[in-house]
Amino acid sequence: MPESDGYALTVEGLHKRFGSLEVLKGVSLQAREGDVISILGSSGSGKSTLLRCINLLETPDEGVVTVAGETIVMRKTRGGRSVPSDRSQVDRIRSELGMVFQNFNLWSHMTILENLIEAPIHVQKRPRVECLEEARALLDKVGIGDKAHFYPTHLSGGQQQRAAIARALAMRPKVMLFDEPTSALDPELVGEVLRVMRSLADEGRTMLIVTHEMNFARDVSDRMIFLHQGLVEDEGPPAELFSNSKSERFRQFIANERF
Amino acid sequence: MMSLDFIEATFMRLMAALQVTLSVWALSVLIGAFIGGGVAWMRVSGVKPLEWLARAYVFVFRGTPLLVQLFIVYYGLSSFPVIRASVFWPFLRDAFNCATLSCALCTAAYQSEIFRGALAGVPPGQVEAARACGMSSFLLFRRVIFPIALRQALPAYSTEVISMVKATALVSLVTLWDVMSVALKIRNDTLVTYTPLLIAGGIYFVVNYLIARVFIFLEQWLSPHLRSRSA
Repeated sequence: MPESDGYALTVEGLHKRFGSLEVLKGVSLQAREGDVISILGSSGSGKSTLLRCINLLETPDEGVVTVAGETIVMRKTRGGRSVPSDRSQVDRIRSELGMVFQNFNLWSHMTILENLIEAPIHVQKRPRVECLEEARALLDKVGIGDKAHFYPTHLSGGQQQRAAIARALAMRPKVMLFDEPTSALDPELVGEVLRVMRSLADEGRTMLIVTHEMNFARDVSDRMIFLHQGLVEDEGPPAELFSNSKSERFRQFIANERF
Repeated sequence: MMSLDFIEATFMRLMAALQVTLSVWALSVLIGAFIGGGVAWMRVSGVKPLEWLARAYVFVFRGTPLLVQLFIVYYGLSSFPVIRASVFWPFLRDAFNCATLSCALCTAAYQSEIFRGALAGVPPGQVEAARACGMSSFLLFRRVIFPIALRQALPAYSTEVISMVKATALVSLVTLWDVMSVALKIRNDTLVTYTPLLIAGGIYFVVNYLIARVFIFLEQWLSPHLRSRSA
């Protein structure tokens, strides 16, 4: 295993353009093992794009992403576009990053249990029996052990999102990425998902969370990063940031958010 | 004339001809699935020349009557000495081969459009989730895109497969002894119109009913997530 200096994830000078629109203008962040970092910002600030650049669902135009000491190797095409040099490295690094989406994105043709064991068996080539055992334990952990043989459409949004979290955990990821995990949920279902995420934070998982749940973010985060127009406007431990942020925009932002 | 014996004899002769109908049908649907799969793949390949070739294929074979295609393959091609001298001649001189080829080429155009629609209907979020798990493109196709697209294609596909059973009646016009041509022969020979045609229609109907049942079964078997949980 490569030397990781205790960093589970580092991002250096990330740039991303969509056409003429520059969404990320040089964002850096470091997550030590066990860090919980929330990424805040108004819509269009680039927070989701940042998360999606980390596992290359979007290809960054510039910048360096390093997961557990392994840097994703990029190269330029003749047209000047940035692309990963080695697809299999991207696939391997993606399997070390657990992604939770706003819309759950469970595979609709598989049961919940099948969703959980799919990537561990076919991507990580782990033995089926072991995967099944672990999957059942994870479903119990997120509180839907009785739903193992249900299809996603038969579950509530909150249950689907907890299943999606369990699916990500089943890969034994080094870092969990949450992309607005409660934004598509009815208000009364938000709590059950946040409880699961809180328990993950408590057990020392490394997590990057894009969210609008300010109370939750303030409670569980070791650090918060406030993005504005593609740049880190301010960052720091929640207490520090909330009591004396030097950013006028951050104070405006939290004044407008729901608590 | 309308004796029970006549009905029975007609029925037996038509049932014997069913084998030809079903052979042309099954082979053309199967070959059409391979060609249609290839055309659909070209269409979504993102490579412009392939995409245009696929579009042109669908445009031509969906835009002209199967009967015209059938006559061109069976009567048209054989009028070129070059083709009669070529390696394809032993294949093309046979009416069964020509009929199957024409039906296959035609259904391939329709099938490719069904496949394309089904591929386009795979939710992008589920594809993204598979990528985020580190699935390679091949694994992603095999485990997520194909199974979802297959389920979405089934209703339209069953319609196409059933309409192909009926389309095979056209091969009676190129000297093949399928159900339709035997019915016409009996009519010509006996001057009895209704009996052979009604029995032929009944045979087509039963075959299509059975095919429809198979597809309903397939849909239910493959898509338990679309049924209610109480099942």
